[in-house]
Amino acid sequence: MEIIVCIKQILDPDLPPAKFMVDKERNKVIPPEGIPFVINPYDALAVEAALKIKDEKGGKITVITIGDKSTEDIVRKALAMGADEGLIISDTIFEESDSFAVGYILAQGIKKIGRYDLILCGRQAADWDNGVVGSVVAEYLGIPIVTRAKDVKVVNGRVNVERVTTDGFETFELELPALITVSSELGQARLPSGWGIIKAASKEIPIWSGKEIETDISKVGKKASRNQLMRLIIPSYERRCEFITGEDLHEISAKLTSKLMERRIHE
Amino acid sequence: MDRFDAIVVGAGPAGCASALVMAKAGLKVLVFERGKYVGAKNMWGGAFFGPQINYLFPNFWEEAPVERLVTRHVISFLTGKGSVSVDFKSTDFGIPPYNGFILLRAKFDLWMAKQVEKAGAILATGLKVDDLLVEGEKVKGVKIGKEEFHSDVVILAEGANSLLTQKAGLRKEFSSEDIKQGVKEVIQLSRKTIEERFNLKGNEGVAMEFVGLCTRGLPGGGFLYTNKESLSLGVVAQLSDLIKNRVKTLDLLEEFKTHPEIGKLIEGGQTVEYSAHLIPVAGLGMIPRLYRDGLLVTGDAGALLLGTGLILEGANFAIASGMAAAETVKMAKEREDFSQRTLSHYQQILKESFVLQDLETFKKAPKFLKNARIYHLYPELIVEMAEKIFRNNGEPRKGTFRMVREVLKGRISIWQLFSDVMKARKAI
Repeated sequence: MEIIVCIKQILDPDLPPAKFMVDKERNKVIPPEGIPFVINPYDALAVEAALKIKDEKGGKITVITIGDKSTEDIVRKALAMGADEGLIISDTIFEESDSFAVGYILAQGIKKIGRYDLILCGRQAADWDNGVVGSVVAEYLGIPIVTRAKDVKVVNGRVNVERVTTDGFETFELELPALITVSSELGQARLPSGWGIIKAASKEIPIWSGKEIETDISKVGKKASRNQLMRLIIPSYERRCEFITGEDLHEISAKLTSKLMERRIHE
Repeated sequence: MDRFDAIVVGAGPAGCASALVMAKAGLKVLVFERGKYVGAKNMWGGAFFGPQINYLFPNFWEEAPVERLVTRHVISFLTGKGSVSVDFKSTDFGIPPYNGFILLRAKFDLWMAKQVEKAGAILATGLKVDDLLVEGEKVKGVKIGKEEFHSDVVILAEGANSLLTQKAGLRKEFSSEDIKQGVKEVIQLSRKTIEERFNLKGNEGVAMEFVGLCTRGLPGGGFLYTNKESLSLGVVAQLSDLIKNRVKTLDLLEEFKTHPEIGKLIEGGQTVEYSAHLIPVAGLGMIPRLYRDGLLVTGDAGALLLGTGLILEGANFAIASGMAAAETVKMAKEREDFSQRTLSHYQQILKESFVLQDLETFKKAPKFLKNARIYHLYPELIVEMAEKIFRNNGEPRKGTFRMVREVLKGRISIWQLFSDVMKARKAI
């Protein structure tokens, strides 16, 4: 059983809002100093789903990510959890790629790996929450996909998936190879063990360039982007508190009513 | 790789220093850190004094995330009616290799840990060591859940709440008399505002200490450090007095923030971090046994820090003790002997260095600093005297010494004052 898990490095979603800063001119998030990036929690669950299958059926798990050398930390985290191999695809031509391009790059990387039975992704990344990449990878590879899985089991060379819906779940059975995106309902990702971390620390993590995965330059980077970010802002909430006073309840309620009328929220 | 030369518990200054020195000597080193990442749980007031970091990382300020240099020290006596300050500005402190550095631990410790990893040590974060592996009298490694990790020696750098040191039978239960509690907020302000308000230029910075009202007169004090784009503001108070008087440090900090002197300095700032910490302050008397077969204790876990009222230092003691532990392990490795006989060399290094010598010099400070008059009566007397000296109420003036006598009258006897001064002379 060859499993590939696509993972992404994101800002820690537990980051306190006060630490969150935006460069308004360049429409970019400024990562706070002293707080390391983390593995996207949905992707950590995809690793967990892969590990559960490996625990039961055996096999090999390869994690793959796109980014510079700093993404090594999250790859090692996945290795420490129990994945077997890690891989980084890195190239300056990938900068400012949109979800479609990212899907294409991952698909090219996976094609170069060659052998795979199952590909797992998080249902979306907890930074932009687009939820597109998994589907695009499946499209490029021409394999079936089920999104938002809460359970993934391999039975007799096929994969059974329970897919979360708004009011329950659907059950799918797919031929392998297939791609599944994993949802938070899967449960909790395991924590790396001490020995897991020690083994992962000395593991070689190859870095593949755009050329090595035979990238079509017209499909990546800013120029290939199908959408454009117009404005990035931190929402502000205004709270106002006003005490309404008066002689008696009648007066107070009358004042309140007229206040509400003014603000036209009584309708 | 199934066993290590050394396992270090805790990736603060002591742990990182010992791991770095050992890894650089080619030893196989494993560091465990309880925080999700290095720096996540590490806390202090805000500044580092002395050359110790420079010994570890020569010219580190060129590369490491240093907030500002300490070029100005202010000590203030604070009352509800005003304050009297000593304001020391040094031009020499702004010249390499600098005397003091204001650092934010989350950033700095993460940087330090990266250097430790580069030197070849393995760093495992998010793991809390549950227990020591002990065979007979010898410590043989550590235990996390069901996992066991074996090594020739274990270095405890677990910080103030030194549970493993206690489990190893090296220290007794703490008493609230031995501990101070510190709370701190990091308050964000623009660089420009900070430099204007504190009269700073470029990388200059100020370390401020406050005595008096900020702890409601309880033993302890307030502090403020200027970071690049934020202020570290906090209060430290004796735990036993907090309990006795049913006071919470966070209430003290809130009050401190509303004091007119402080309010002006933090105005318009936004609190972006909040943290708390315990400080073992009983000095020489509370230092545990620092070694046994296969085990060394460093930094706060060994209560190796100095508080004299004027000097508040811990991280340099932590680094010096971490380095001393590492040197000891290197020697033990050469001899292939990790018994307490060889490891006692650690104590010897500390005795010959400032670490235990400073603690010896200031051994009377912890008791002296419990004198409540320092925090309650003296700030009031000092501020009142200043008020009397500078007040012009149109009346004929009195001589300065006569005014001093009037201020003191009925509140403290000359003999009491003299006795406190004599004690201070010996303690600080």
